[in-house]
Amino acid sequence: MKCEWVRENITLQVYGELADDARHELEQHIARCADCATELKVEQEFHALLSQERAAEPTANLLAASRMKLQEALETAEPGGFWRRLTFDPANWLRQVRFSPALASAILILGFAGGLGTSYRVFGHPASGVATGTTPAATESSITGIQSITQEPGTNQIAIKYDTVSTLETQGSLNDQRIQQLLLFAARNNYNSGVRMDSVDLLTKKPDVSQVRDALIYALRYDTNPGVRLKALDGLGGFVKDDVHVRDAVLEALVNDSNPGVRTEALRWIEPVKADGSVRGVLMTLAAKDQSQYIKSQARTMLAQLPEID
Amino acid sequence: MEKVSGIRDPTRGRMAGQERRIDDTILIREAQRGNRGAFEELVRHYDQAVLRLALHLTGTEHDAQDVYQDAFLKAYKNIGSFRFECSFYTWIYRIVTNLCLDHLRKKTVRKEDAPVVKDASGGEYDLLDQVPDGRAGANPERDLMRRQLGARISGALEKLTPRERMVFELKHYHGLKLRTVGEILHTTEETAKNTLFRATQKLRGQLADMR
Repeated sequence: MKCEWVRENITLQVYGELADDARHELEQHIARCADCATELKVEQEFHALLSQERAAEPTANLLAASRMKLQEALETAEPGGFWRRLTFDPANWLRQVRFSPALASAILILGFAGGLGTSYRVFGHPASGVATGTTPAATESSITGIQSITQEPGTNQIAIKYDTVSTLETQGSLNDQRIQQLLLFAARNNYNSGVRMDSVDLLTKKPDVSQVRDALIYALRYDTNPGVRLKALDGLGGFVKDDVHVRDAVLEALVNDSNPGVRTEALRWIEPVKADGSVRGVLMTLAAKDQSQYIKSQARTMLAQLPEID
Repeated sequence: MEKVSGIRDPTRGRMAGQERRIDDTILIREAQRGNRGAFEELVRHYDQAVLRLALHLTGTEHDAQDVYQDAFLKAYKNIGSFRFECSFYTWIYRIVTNLCLDHLRKKTVRKEDAPVVKDASGGEYDLLDQVPDGRAGANPERDLMRRQLGARISGALEKLTPRERMVFELKHYHGLKLRTVGEILHTTEETAKNTLFRATQKLRGQLADMR
């Protein structure tokens, strides 16, 4: 059994992919077992044999030609920017749901609630709720379930009660209250990071509205996606001087954010207020012991530019 | 006089990696805003590795160039949907490996794509044999042996399944960690380990007489 395990793991040992404890175990066994020691030697020789044939490096000409061809193609290609992100991507949506069981449950519950709401209206207004030949037929994809099917005695009329879930659309400018409300809702609650990114991106155009600024601060502090946090930071950056809440949130991002890009951007935004006491304190901490050499050196440079405090 | 130390600063590689990451983040954000120059700069960071992988997997410069172009065009068109959930490195490698896997699968079906062509007299010869060895100190006998070995290894690699070939290629020739290989191929590290084991066993079987 031991020899079998060793032989299965010798390849990983040769490629340096064995965990430390497993490597130790394998080495201990090989020191005692001549057969396995031979097997390791054979595998090492085979590895060396394969390594004689190296992957050919592309020639400089090939690389230059490929770059030129790509540049030409890029001139006519459309980049996938903002509008593309607004389009619905079912595969991505499904992936999000797959990895978020809690969200999937919430969506399911919302679906049921929506369905129940629809059926309630059907019961409350029997004349309009019962599908007749003149009522526009619901598409199959919007039907979530059939509640009941009854036939009027003595007639050929059939009454079917069914539940549907419908998607609504609203349009308006960024100044429109309803649009702003929906964007604020999407920035905080949407499960799809692409939609959050788009809503935060639009909200950054209205940072003077205090509700919007709150939503951006929320996104900077709590959004799981670094791209969304960076966008929120961009929208807030201009307010670090005048709004102490914004300054605190940006400082928090500078100290705690897990993404180096967000931290670097936060450092850039606090530059105009580096003389502020709270900012100076944070810079001193970063200059003394930050893990990132880049942040550490930038913080030192910024501190060096400040006048001495007596 | 102070002697320059030859010891490499262990934090240097990590720092360079972090700086590259920051650099990429900024370039990606710019590219997402529609800045083509930023995307082209991003391409420069990765295109040599991409072309190398494509060249080795497809076997011809023409096909490698096609894979290179398709991969970066795809990345350009989809840059807006890049969510920073993985590194750009993993993302672009994922695109390239998918294109190469498609290529390998088609190649398995169409055997005439193999770099074996017929000469004027109708005899078959391997295109790889025609590549001269430009390395200094090469002599004709060693050169011939190297080509024979190369041809045997190429033949054995072509007998692997596309997925086995890909895992082996990324690990053996590109030195990627199996964890990264798993991420790129949308699978687990464990599966990548098993695939590597299967691939090396098959190669050992194919090349048994060469040891």
